[in-house]
Amino acid sequence: MNFFNRFRKSHLLSKSASESIFALSSAYITLETKLGLKNTGRSAISLKAVDGMYFLTMKEEIRQFLDASRTDFDLTYRILIDTFGYLWVIIEGKNMEDQLAGVTAIGDIVYERGFADKLLATVFEFSNTSDNLCSIQYLIYNYRRNSFYPFIPLGQKNRDTEQEMKILSAVDQELRLEKDMTNWYPLWDLPL
Amino acid sequence: MIFSFAILTILYLVFLSVLAYLGVGYIPIILIASAMILAQWYFSDKIVLWSSKAKVVSREEEQDLHEMIERIVARNNLPKPKIAIIETSMPNAFATGRGRKSSVVAVTRGLINILDREELEGVIAHELTHIRNRDALILTLASLFSTVAWYLMQFGFYGGLYGGGYGYGDRDRNNGGVMLIILLVAMLTWVVSFLIIRAISRYREFAADRGSAQMTGKPVKLANALLKISGTMKRIPSKDLREVEGLNAFFIVPAISGSTIGNLFSTHPPVEKRVQKLMEMEASMS
Repeated sequence: MNFFNRFRKSHLLSKSASESIFALSSAYITLETKLGLKNTGRSAISLKAVDGMYFLTMKEEIRQFLDASRTDFDLTYRILIDTFGYLWVIIEGKNMEDQLAGVTAIGDIVYERGFADKLLATVFEFSNTSDNLCSIQYLIYNYRRNSFYPFIPLGQKNRDTEQEMKILSAVDQELRLEKDMTNWYPLWDLPL
Repeated sequence: MIFSFAILTILYLVFLSVLAYLGVGYIPIILIASAMILAQWYFSDKIVLWSSKAKVVSREEEQDLHEMIERIVARNNLPKPKIAIIETSMPNAFATGRGRKSSVVAVTRGLINILDREELEGVIAHELTHIRNRDALILTLASLFSTVAWYLMQFGFYGGLYGGGYGYGDRDRNNGGVMLIILLVAMLTWVVSFLIIRAISRYREFAADRGSAQMTGKPVKLANALLKISGTMKRIPSKDLREVEGLNAFFIVPAISGSTIGNLFSTHPPVEKRVQKLMEMEASMS
């Protein structure tokens, strides 16, 4: 595979990922009206950290991008590495649209720098306003599968499957969802 | 539904007219077979209860279960069925009986144990819908002709055997050929009607799921119960994505799960499909 093809492939991949993620710009309203789920303003993108110059350069580029766009997007951010060795870029902003623009732009940088195969997931955080507990619920976008699935941790590594299925059915028409539940891998102890 | 019944009817008409054309006196056999099937249908509840070791329980023995079912039937204007329990840890439930009045809903002890209250209601409402829709009768009638075909197949086989034994003249050789045709037609009828009956049965399951959703208003509970019963619940992973990502192998998902042929023969649709339909109902209700 020559350089050009490789670039084009990464470009196409990044485009389809961005499209899938941007579908959330309408789906999050559905989640709010149907299930009373409110976006907490936090979302995060994670990728496997690797040693080396290129990766550090990319990380710096992400940082510069986020610093530069602070005025446009109204976002704050944190960057950290978790115990599994995954790099997390956690962004916080009032608007869902800003967050979506933020995570997809970061995704583009990762693609352009040739680390597309290291991308793990993008996570969006919601809180349930309809129950009194205000439980935290997540939508996980898996880059490899190019699809979303819900994740609701209950503590002790249990999850609320019933509510997860409700989320699945609520946004079935709007999002690319992972229909095969055996691929609904959790992300415990999210650093969001 | 109408489509499969139409095919079934056409099939039987063709089958019967072939018989009529051949001028064979198979009417006695058909009558005997029909009588057997009717008897089977008439005693079905007793046969099923006996073979599954289900025990009909009184209101005193299982008050909670009785009250739950009373609530559902009262809300939906249905006659109350007899209630039976099977003492096994395998979670399952079934409904049986001739008509709406003399029916039995049986649940296993395992089902009561693993499901919560609303999930159990969903499953029982599913079984009550089977009773309301007279699914046992429909399937018995549908299998009537396939059973007749089965008897004919056997009869044709033996007939062919004896026919060959005496075969020395023109007339007898001709008779052997007729037997062969009957055998083939009967075989074909049986195979095709078997598949259609399976299709009808799967359709009735979807209908019962829908009925249950309407009765309880909570399709998600039945979906949950189905996942629990089938063990799919256990297949929702608890292992962290970051751990499996390291293995990197699991993403190669086979495009065909190898169950498409199996689907043709099964009486129940795959749980994933049923859950998906239930979730669509849930979405349209909320």
